[in-house]
Amino acid sequence: MDAIQTPQSRLASRDIPTAAPVKRTVGNWLGWQIGGWAAFFAFLLGLSGVLLGVVRLLAGFDEKKNVAGGLWESVGNILILMLVFVMVLATLLTMADRKWSALMQDRVGPNRARLPGIDSPLAGLPHIIADVLKMLFKEDFLSAGAAKQKLLFNLGPLLAFGPAFCLFAIIPMSPEVFFFGKRISLQVLHLDWGILYVFALASIGVFGTALAGWSSDNKFALLGGLRASAQMVSYEVTLGLTLVGAFIAYGTVRLDLMSELQGATEAAMRMGGADPSLLFGWLPPWGIFMQPLACIFFLVAAMAEIKRTPFDTPEGESEIIGYYLEYSGLKSGLFLIAEYVETVVVAGIVTAIFLGGWHLPWIEPALCSALDNLWHGNGAALLAIFQVFGFIVKLIFVIWVMFLARWALPRFRYDQVMHLGWKMLLPASLANVIISAAAYLAGGHEMLAIVGLVEIVAFCGYVAFWGKTPAAETPDAHGAHGAADPHAAPAAH
Amino acid sequence: MDHGHAETERAAHDEQELTLGEKLYLREAIKGMAIVARHFWKNLFGFRDNTPEVLDRGGTGVNLVTTLNYPEEQKPYPPGYRGMHRLVPRVDGRPRCVACYMCATACPAQCIYIEAGEYDDQAIEKFPIRFEIDELRCIVCGFCVEACPKDAIRMDTGTHAPAVLSRPLAVFDKEALLSGAPVELSSDSMTYRAPLQTVSPMGKNEGGKKMGGH
Repeated sequence: MDAIQTPQSRLASRDIPTAAPVKRTVGNWLGWQIGGWAAFFAFLLGLSGVLLGVVRLLAGFDEKKNVAGGLWESVGNILILMLVFVMVLATLLTMADRKWSALMQDRVGPNRARLPGIDSPLAGLPHIIADVLKMLFKEDFLSAGAAKQKLLFNLGPLLAFGPAFCLFAIIPMSPEVFFFGKRISLQVLHLDWGILYVFALASIGVFGTALAGWSSDNKFALLGGLRASAQMVSYEVTLGLTLVGAFIAYGTVRLDLMSELQGATEAAMRMGGADPSLLFGWLPPWGIFMQPLACIFFLVAAMAEIKRTPFDTPEGESEIIGYYLEYSGLKSGLFLIAEYVETVVVAGIVTAIFLGGWHLPWIEPALCSALDNLWHGNGAALLAIFQVFGFIVKLIFVIWVMFLARWALPRFRYDQVMHLGWKMLLPASLANVIISAAAYLAGGHEMLAIVGLVEIVAFCGYVAFWGKTPAAETPDAHGAHGAADPHAAPAAH
Repeated sequence: MDHGHAETERAAHDEQELTLGEKLYLREAIKGMAIVARHFWKNLFGFRDNTPEVLDRGGTGVNLVTTLNYPEEQKPYPPGYRGMHRLVPRVDGRPRCVACYMCATACPAQCIYIEAGEYDDQAIEKFPIRFEIDELRCIVCGFCVEACPKDAIRMDTGTHAPAVLSRPLAVFDKEALLSGAPVELSSDSMTYRAPLQTVSPMGKNEGGKKMGGH
């Protein structure tokens, strides 16, 4: 450097501070991936063991050791499944919704809250505590209009939350199994009328939203309440009809029996070897293979029934705020958490009816005999832990699919919701009932599975090839083209 | 083809009958969900390159989140950024500034205050006893850097003026400004009578009498 330079050349010279060195964290990332997933699945497996273990401890007070469904076992199930498992899962889902949506939209998601003394975002988990504290300590505001119907106003959130919460009682999370000296199962209610309980209680939920909408004395809330009641009543019909095919396939409405029929029986598991319940020797007899369309229809109808996006016209945050517009504090929180509890319940029903419930495909008898060799006589009990683990994993997967739909699809217009429910899903599910009944009469489960596989192949073909949107045309190209032959684009396919 | 006709063509195209496949909507819905799912798995499993320099986070195995977690991860300013001022030291730690007042004169915001002192060393006659910049008044125009004949004031710190809780804290004095790498130009040697000593604690070599009656 011979002379004082121009600012530009000086900026290019070397005495400018250099940029921060490049950090390479690939090894760190790999460690977190492997460690994180291992910890996640180990946690779920441990959770399965704890669920079964606590129920077994409480069931020890029951007298009959060889019969499941005693009083103390039910108490244990209510405590551990409904008060702990569902509530904790629903609370975690509020966070998962925010974090998963962030991942789906290339964002980071909430990560600013910290626990005292821990300088790590912990994947945003401290935000749950912050959210709950906010809900607890917010003012419970009662608007002048709502004060006129205080009783009904307060009844709204209770009627929305209560039925949703009670629904989980009939979800079977484990088989009836001889678990270390006592026969237990992770299911609160063993009802003969099983799935009808779901339909009955789900209808009660309408009262909550309708009451909330009306007693708020607010036009937007009333609109939301009206939309909610119309939508929920409409989809109730489809919800029931989609499952009729499943009733035909299993010959029962009991959820625990339905789950049991989708895999190896208890006796077959003791035998070891190949799974005798496999159709054609390779296909697990799961509902999704015998009733694939019913599975999709049920999921769609259930998402409309619990008012999840894209069927959230009753809430519609961007147009009418929805039926819970006038609520604040803990009552508003009850509405919000009810939605997540309903999500868990719907995912549980889909898992139990269509995804084989607690059954692990293909490996159950072999795994059972292997575990029996490991700890003699307790193979079925150890297998039950893996089965509960399998149920939880399937449950989380279905919830994830529902969130996927929520963040991928825009909200339907109100008339589109009605159109979809009455003019598309209802006839389609009726057709499904007729086809399933005919197939079952013609060839039992095998024929149902063949029809199901054909449906799956046809559906995949439809998704992949048929009815493709024509490639986007530029305005110029279309102008020149359209003048010569206005029907060129429709004729292309 | 006139404009109006093209418009009708466009409208006709928009309102044309949907195919049955599109009407069913299921395919479109599944396509949308597949896109969202792809982003989800890519971001969940992808390696997040958290170096701030990486602006385009494409490529295999790299996730798509471009957000910087600001206080922990900061993107450096570009090389030409006019950041906070610094007074450039010589290799022995003395400021290069000769208190000529040209920066203070050029400053349109009048945020530079200088008090000059005099060295015993005859080659370099003057030095600043006080050199203060009020960063709240500074409009970051860079005229002071342009005006300086001795390359003694620069804005190459790569940072902005820090936030302060009271106004007096935004006035940076000579000690605070005298930071960063020393600069030695070959033309400097002509101005030294004796060879410069190695870097010594600041202020040691600033002995000399002050100008004016302080």
